[in-house]
Amino acid sequence: MKSFLRVPALLAVVAPAFVMFAAPARAQDPAPAEPKKEDGKKDDAKVEDKWVAVVGGDIHAGTGEVLKGATILGKNGKIHAIGYDLDIPKDAKVHDVSGLRVYPGLVAISSQGLLGNAMAEFDDTIDPFSTRMVLGLAAGITTTGVGGSAVKLKRFSVDGAVVNERAYTVMSWSGRNPRTKSELREKFADAARYIREQREWERKSKEEKDLPEPKKSGIDGGVLSVLRGETQAKFNASDRDDLLGIARLAQEYGFRPIIDGCQEGWTVADELGRAGARVVLTARDRRSKDEQQSAAGGTSIENAAILHKSGCMVAVTPPTEGVDLGGLEGRDIRMLTIEAGFAVRGGLPERAALEAITIVPARMMGISHRVGSLEVGKDFDLLVTDGDLLHYATYVQWAFVDGRMVYDKEKELYYAHIRPRPVAEKKLDAGETAESKPADEPKTEGDKKDGDKKDGEDDEQKKEGDKDDGEKKDGEKKDGEKKEDKPGEKQD
Amino acid sequence: MEHSSTTARATDSGSERSGSPTPTTMKTCTTIALAVALAAPSFAGETLAIRVGRAETVSHGVVEHAVILVEDGKIAIVGEDLPVERGIPVLDRPEWTVVPGFVNCYSRLGCDSEGGDDNSPDVKAIDELWPKSPAYKEVVEHGVTTLSLYPAGNGISGQSVTIRPLGATAEEMVLKDGQYVKMVVRSDSPSKRRITDAFKKVAEYDEKVVKAREKFDKDKKGGSKKDEKADDKKSDEKKAFDPAAQEAKSDDKKDEKKDDGFVPPQPDEKLRPWLEMRVGAKRGLVAMSQASDWLHFQDALGKNELAYDLRLVLQRESDLYHVFEKKTNELDVDGIGDKKLRCVVEPTLTVAAGTLRTRNLPHELHRSGAKVVFIPRNDSLGDHQQWRSNVGEVVSAGLPADVALRAMTLEAAEVAGVADLVGSIEKGKHANLVFLTGAPFEASTKIAAVMLDGEFVHGEVYQ
Amino acid sequence: MDAATTTNDRHAGARMRAATAVACLVSLVACRSSATGGGGRASSGPLELGPGDSGQAIHCAKVLTLDAGDTIHAPATILVKNGKLAWIGPRRAAPAGYEECSADGLWASPGMVELHSHIHSGGFGDTNDMVLPVNGELRAMTALRPGNPLVRRAVAGGVTTLYGIPGSGTSMSGFGVIYKSKVEGGFEDVVLHEVGGLKVAQSYNPERNAGDLGRTRAGLAWILEDAADRAKALRAADAVDLANEDLAKVMERELPVLIHCAGSDGFAAAARMWQVKYGTRCVLSHGCFDAHATAPWIVATGAPINAGPRTVDYMTTRDGAITGTAAKYLAAGAKDLSLNTDSPVLPQEELFLQGAMSARYGADDYQMLRGCTIAPARVFGLDHRLGSLEAGKDADIVLSTGSPLDPRSRVERVYIDGALQYDRARDGQWF
Repeated sequence: MKSFLRVPALLAVVAPAFVMFAAPARAQDPAPAEPKKEDGKKDDAKVEDKWVAVVGGDIHAGTGEVLKGATILGKNGKIHAIGYDLDIPKDAKVHDVSGLRVYPGLVAISSQGLLGNAMAEFDDTIDPFSTRMVLGLAAGITTTGVGGSAVKLKRFSVDGAVVNERAYTVMSWSGRNPRTKSELREKFADAARYIREQREWERKSKEEKDLPEPKKSGIDGGVLSVLRGETQAKFNASDRDDLLGIARLAQEYGFRPIIDGCQEGWTVADELGRAGARVVLTARDRRSKDEQQSAAGGTSIENAAILHKSGCMVAVTPPTEGVDLGGLEGRDIRMLTIEAGFAVRGGLPERAALEAITIVPARMMGISHRVGSLEVGKDFDLLVTDGDLLHYATYVQWAFVDGRMVYDKEKELYYAHIRPRPVAEKKLDAGETAESKPADEPKTEGDKKDGDKKDGEDDEQKKEGDKDDGEKKDGEKKDGEKKEDKPGEKQD
Repeated sequence: MEHSSTTARATDSGSERSGSPTPTTMKTCTTIALAVALAAPSFAGETLAIRVGRAETVSHGVVEHAVILVEDGKIAIVGEDLPVERGIPVLDRPEWTVVPGFVNCYSRLGCDSEGGDDNSPDVKAIDELWPKSPAYKEVVEHGVTTLSLYPAGNGISGQSVTIRPLGATAEEMVLKDGQYVKMVVRSDSPSKRRITDAFKKVAEYDEKVVKAREKFDKDKKGGSKKDEKADDKKSDEKKAFDPAAQEAKSDDKKDEKKDDGFVPPQPDEKLRPWLEMRVGAKRGLVAMSQASDWLHFQDALGKNELAYDLRLVLQRESDLYHVFEKKTNELDVDGIGDKKLRCVVEPTLTVAAGTLRTRNLPHELHRSGAKVVFIPRNDSLGDHQQWRSNVGEVVSAGLPADVALRAMTLEAAEVAGVADLVGSIEKGKHANLVFLTGAPFEASTKIAAVMLDGEFVHGEVYQ
Repeated sequence: MDAATTTNDRHAGARMRAATAVACLVSLVACRSSATGGGGRASSGPLELGPGDSGQAIHCAKVLTLDAGDTIHAPATILVKNGKLAWIGPRRAAPAGYEECSADGLWASPGMVELHSHIHSGGFGDTNDMVLPVNGELRAMTALRPGNPLVRRAVAGGVTTLYGIPGSGTSMSGFGVIYKSKVEGGFEDVVLHEVGGLKVAQSYNPERNAGDLGRTRAGLAWILEDAADRAKALRAADAVDLANEDLAKVMERELPVLIHCAGSDGFAAAARMWQVKYGTRCVLSHGCFDAHATAPWIVATGAPINAGPRTVDYMTTRDGAITGTAAKYLAAGAKDLSLNTDSPVLPQEELFLQGAMSARYGADDYQMLRGCTIAPARVFGLDHRLGSLEAGKDADIVLSTGSPLDPRSRVERVYIDGALQYDRARDGQWF
């Protein structure tokens, strides 16, 4: 095993049973029943099952377990099995990723432009050939919240990209516009009363048939669906007072608010925790405290860590939510993992940081039954990376959405030139681009990609050289020290 | 050299005979022969034999030392080294190459109305046609002998009309009315809904027809006087029907026997074109500019039937190549090439997004199995003048020259609905010819003359 | 009198501050600030503390010395005496009298050096005068607010020395100030060199329609060369011209010059003018957009490159690739490549992130760490006292929980001149 890979200490405590080395046992049983086909092809009785297997990588399932050198098997776009010595059907597309890591596809809670210019009605407007979608996949993002919906970066297809049409309802609560507060309070009061009356009426109308139904007109539909648990309430708030107000409203009416921004959240962390707030933060937000405010305020790099400790669900979003190729690197939507790294800087545990860009945003958008972690029955959305996902130099080598490979680093011009995989590169003619190249490897059944095996070996060696800070590749300069750990990993 | 059926000779229109010419024809020929002997050449609308170095017929390949006999505005015969019967005037130009007259199947030359985002498949371009527009006179100088005009607009804007560019009245100009319905498809809900709504209405109409049929059958069984009266009424209505639509409906399974007196209900004028497009009596011309538009269009179409061609707007960083082939792009649906569609494109090279690397999408389209149709880069007269040279750029970048020529002629004529009349140099078609000083796409080649329906309308032989 | 005197050697520590201030006042004559000569290192002397000496012993998990041999010690001990690094090596017991500073589990690295920064005024503007295209008389030090909030946060990002310069609105905008990011202390406490170097903007920003000369490259080039030639002539004529005295020093390599230049043409023009023609001690700063296309030629001239704040180019080379500029310069053989943030264009405390991003786009990580520390120090002639953890240099030490380039590491403590400026446990986490 690689000496510089360390299994986080948490793991050893939480799930020893799942860390396998050589035993040919199964980590998870395959799905017990046939998953329903979701694309509505009811009339074609004989549609062949599509199998895909990603073999040999270290699977970081996002549930706390790491399975080294394991296999993940997908059927018709869903995860069918994860473990060792799985039965892989002959016609499956097999990808050998030995030496590389496998992670769940990232969920960006909010982004701009990753679906093309689409801003609403994504079933009709998504551009699955958008260059920004490619860049999003290159950054590991497979699902994103946008315009109130949760949508997948589903390349090559316009079918089934929308995972949740109405992931959340935006509500206004702002001290700078006090009417929003009174209006919202009123709406909640009315809606709650309506629900009570509705329940009463349902109960009584069993006997009194002529009892009139409570009127629904004038009741805010968004608020009603929040109270019914059909959708989430999302607020944009950062001022301490606003956060307190939202927390109190939430506790009064029994819902868990999503709060985007939440810059001063660290000052009222307990309240937010009690309200079960789900916060979306940018670790690097910088804002001074309002001088008129006597209590603590402004931003803090420790915001995520503090709120997490108080029991809030923490998701992370970068300073810029669109793609920015102007040259100032490190702050746009492609740098989701870097932002998570800054949350770690502020004290957020690494596991929570990973969850902040996977399962937590999935939960916030009501889609965690489908994405956010690698578990049997969920969608086959995953990343193959050449290192620790939160390390600044790690790249996504391949990305899969719904079981289909939608991104290959070597086949897109953006990053292929950086630490390329050691496969003989075909020289591109004028008029051709990386996209227009026919696939290098034949897609016949069971055919392992020639390049992949070599990838595994060479990537190991390359990783030694690339990721080590403070050490020369030729190993001459080590004076009385042996580096056990990668510089990027925290020391416990 | 033998005198056989390959001899070019004057014939009565429509009939093919061997044997001696009629006295009338003899007289005409002699007259012409004398005229040739005496005066400067002036070939206007009579029988004429033209000898050129090379004829690119498009339908039957290249004919060297071609002789074309033009009679009554049509091509009577074309062949290699045919001897010309004595008395028929001959225009001898061995240095010329002749190609079919160019067909611009997608234009608004001479029209100037603006359109909105309408859903108006019943609107017709013929209503906009203004024969006196000076543009038409000039466009023939650039070799364009057939034009299709379409109504302006971003939605479903209406139906085309195919014209010859010269004529005093609309009737003189129109070759075919209502060949295609132009519609724009974008990656947005309104344009998809226009299509899905149309098919919904088609389905509703079908149901209506079924119900009417059932009722008709039921009533027929009764056989009462009431029915007879109703039948008379219906047969009056019958006369008001558009025979073409009626024909189309007769293909419909639901309308079994014409002569049992069943008359299906009248469809709405906006619905009728869809019924016609369903069976190919009309075609759609679907305009799109992005790869995602194709997928959304296929999504909106679903399993419905539609006869259509494509208008692919090639933007500078066009990503349309993603949807040419299903296999190489891992699409869930067929690509444009897989469906072997006709694609109307401008002759331009594009670049791969974010780079300066050129791509030749017309060539890629052709390679993928689609049929390329060219139109000028823009609709101005200047662009019509540059058309051939722009196509030449695409040829220099790899598109085979014969495919390019076909794209300006016969393939375009298919879209225009007049492939039986124009678009190639073959017997029976209109004598629409462009005479060039060299190979069609050489930079130095110029147009020496243009013939429209057997008359020279431009060039040195035109007066 | 505008040019106050500074002495080259400074001693950190509260007790010495007053003494130094007095010394400064005493020597406030027209004694010019001596240039940043690349002299030899001060000897470290004996480790034992005498009366009046102070010392700290920092025991940490690992030290990245960034010396010529790229020496790393783990575990390690750093001995600081009177604000200077006295000894760095493997873990050892400290001599008597040294204050024990435990830094268990932490990495030590040199304080970072920023060569292109505009935050000396604390975000209150004061960057560009923009009246005359040539303004060698201007001094950025006049706007310096020591320990301002922007600089304080920079400390928590591991940046300890900055070159605060006027903006790039004019061709020759003045002389910048080299100062340290101490959180307490006045002007004299933080400033290393009041006149640290010249600032020139070769192209782009100065191309404005102010009605004066310099709308075109030809005009800009003339402006710069005219000023440079005059300064040279001064020296030759042994004349006195207060406006051009310091500029003359630049022409004689006694002061360095930082040139804002970007785009391949501006980059090459700057190298041609300042390195090849005038032979100054120049640093080409920015080098973004398509400037990397000139990398081999620039490297051949020997002009050092200070890359940033843009670290990648996608828009101008138009080949579809996102090109890391630092990687390209390194591949062309650039020596002492340094990085910048052009703060506040990017926050000063994210200088390390420039290193991380450059590494992401293909540069060697370790070279990028050097690019934030010893390389900028060296190209500005400050490496006799800054940029690496070596005996005799200033005790500017950053203690962090992991690799200094990794965003996940946090800075725990920062010493400048041996004094603790930032302690996360004590001060809260500023960044």
